[in-house]
Amino acid sequence: MNTYHFSKRLLLVLVVLMTIGVSGVHAQEKTVVTWWTEDYVDMDALTTLLIEPFNAAHPDIELQVVPTATLDDAVRTAFTAGAAPDILQTPGASFIGEYVNAGLIHPLTADAATLGWEGKLLPWAYQSGIIEGELYSVPLTYETMILLYNKTLFEEKGWAPPATYADIETIAAAAQAEGINPFSYGNAGFQPSNEHLVGIYLNNYAGAENVYKALMGEKQWTDPEFAEAISLLTKHIAEDGWFDGNLETYFTYGWNEQFTALASQEAAMMMIGTWGFRGAGEFFADSGSDWDWVSIPPFSDMAGEYNYMLATGSTLSVNGQSKNVDAAVSVLDFLFSDPARVLQIASGYSYGEFVVPLNYKAEDFPEGTDPRISRFYEDFATVTGQGRVGYTTWTFWPADSDVQLWKEIEQVWYGELSVEDYLAAHQATWDEARASGKTLPIPAR
Amino acid sequence: MNSFIANDGAFASVRQPSSRPSIWNVLGRWAFIMPLIVLNLIVIIIPSIFGLLLAFTDWSGYGPINFIGTANFTKLFQDKIFFQSLTHNLVWTAFFLTIPIAVGLLGAYLLSSIRRGQMFFRIAYFLPYVIASVVNAQLWRQLLHPRVGIGPLLAQQGITFLDFPIFGTRETSLMGVAFVDAWHFWGFLVILYLSAMAAVDVELYEVARLDGATRFQQFRYVTLPSIRPTLVFTILMITIWSSLVFDYVYIMTNGGPANSSEVMGTYLYQHAFDRFDVGYAASIGVMMSLWAMIAVAGFVILRRRGWDI
Repeated sequence: MNTYHFSKRLLLVLVVLMTIGVSGVHAQEKTVVTWWTEDYVDMDALTTLLIEPFNAAHPDIELQVVPTATLDDAVRTAFTAGAAPDILQTPGASFIGEYVNAGLIHPLTADAATLGWEGKLLPWAYQSGIIEGELYSVPLTYETMILLYNKTLFEEKGWAPPATYADIETIAAAAQAEGINPFSYGNAGFQPSNEHLVGIYLNNYAGAENVYKALMGEKQWTDPEFAEAISLLTKHIAEDGWFDGNLETYFTYGWNEQFTALASQEAAMMMIGTWGFRGAGEFFADSGSDWDWVSIPPFSDMAGEYNYMLATGSTLSVNGQSKNVDAAVSVLDFLFSDPARVLQIASGYSYGEFVVPLNYKAEDFPEGTDPRISRFYEDFATVTGQGRVGYTTWTFWPADSDVQLWKEIEQVWYGELSVEDYLAAHQATWDEARASGKTLPIPAR
Repeated sequence: MNSFIANDGAFASVRQPSSRPSIWNVLGRWAFIMPLIVLNLIVIIIPSIFGLLLAFTDWSGYGPINFIGTANFTKLFQDKIFFQSLTHNLVWTAFFLTIPIAVGLLGAYLLSSIRRGQMFFRIAYFLPYVIASVVNAQLWRQLLHPRVGIGPLLAQQGITFLDFPIFGTRETSLMGVAFVDAWHFWGFLVILYLSAMAAVDVELYEVARLDGATRFQQFRYVTLPSIRPTLVFTILMITIWSSLVFDYVYIMTNGGPANSSEVMGTYLYQHAFDRFDVGYAASIGVMMSLWAMIAVAGFVILRRRGWDI
């Protein structure tokens, strides 16, 4: 009897152990894909719109998205420890260059060809991730610079939205005559905001074609058209008081102040990235004013017809040390294959984040989308589709050149550094970047 | 055991030293200090050596590390912005060695004579010190805001000296940030000095009073000499901390406008994290460490010369 009981118990234990073992094997079979993202994401929306649908569609994969503070610092440290996430999110293209140089990124060219990503993504966005013939990254979001204006103020004063540089000058003069600042902007809390203005003046005065040539090394940054562009910006911001009235106020205005000024009719216009849609929505809501946008007009004949400056925000790549490359690629493909899903996520950020550069159609936009925003995306697709594109500094400039551009421009504005010396120093950073292979991919025009 | 609980003579007989400690005795001693040595090795010594070595490389923070000799230091000694930052650190140090210490001493001396409610003031003065720098910085950015801060408010009453963008003006940005940092820091000094003053023999004050000393003379000739070790300690620490200043500058101005508030800490950060030039950033870090070493060396020299500090 004892032997029987013993055998029965033994059998029971064995069954339990085997069950645990089998379930363990099952648990191990499920591939976990990790993706560390910025800590300001709306995790509820991301869970509902991306994580759960992906996991449901891929029973053998579990996607884990982890909001991470100071994301790039954390990722960089994790790489050193050999514990970086499978999907690599970086703050921008210049970071990707560094990772690629270090051999830490998995090339996606073959996967992209198999999965047809070139057809799903906007052509320039796809090309922006190609370094030395291999696709290494895809933008998680894209943006461009636009001109927001206080529509109510414009209607009250009888001003038409500016279509030319002459219009801007006329409006600026009329606004200043009435004690209104032509433009609102500032760099408090984010000093690189300077580069938004520098980039606009380089592209819209010297012209995107000239900027492209300089990016490719076919022109020097010290050439006269670039010097004139920087001089014009310096005149507007330091002498004419176009931005917030004076330089000192520009240096103390941040996101809240600049939108408050625009919404309260303290300022008439604002040149900002498309992330500004979010600010416009928030700050105009109870202001009694309404807003609208136009593309930034060319500032000179050299600039030709208006265009949109290309810009990528965060980028996505696959960790070259990952053991789950295929699963990570399937997450990216899931994202690129459903434009409506992406726009639904992006709408939660007023289209300021998570706008993956896909070929969107009108029906992809969620119901109730602000027509001003959908109008932008339609126009952006049309204009950039015709090759009318400019270049943002944070997407196409090497890191050192970019920092020099936004850091030292303040000395130019204060007259501590001549425009010539500023641009000569800028050219020197480019020469160094070119010599050390740190230039970034530039989509062909 | 018996000998241990017996008289001193018996105890001494047990404790008679042998000519050489046994191997187990030596190992036992090492075993006690080994955790600390390992901890120091991992947390301080290895990272310090690694940081020092990085100063001789061109590491971007990502890929392979190449040694480039003293190129970073050659570049550093020709870097105008670095010397501008270094100057700002010196100005910062001079400011913190005067204003906060003077105000801290005054606050502590006045507070030391209060019997009722002293704890309230202690807490009130110390509170800013335990609040996160981000919160303090944001608070003062609003208080000194050119549109909605104290400046425009006072200007309505005809007092206009604060009615300008303090953090956006080159001439005031560094001192503006230093003021905010000092505001959060001086309460800490008050508490330190107050504790030191509490240990001063009250009879010294009584004798001074009998000799007809005024309050200022009591402070000058009794209080100050009595708290000198604490005072010198705070001077040393402020000198070292001033080379490391980062958070308030980074949050409030990021070194701007036009480098007018750039300090070594923010300049280092810019190179390490914005320009991907960790090697160069490490060379700036070496200079910051050198500053601290000079301060400590001065402290040690003074002690060796017999200063009671």
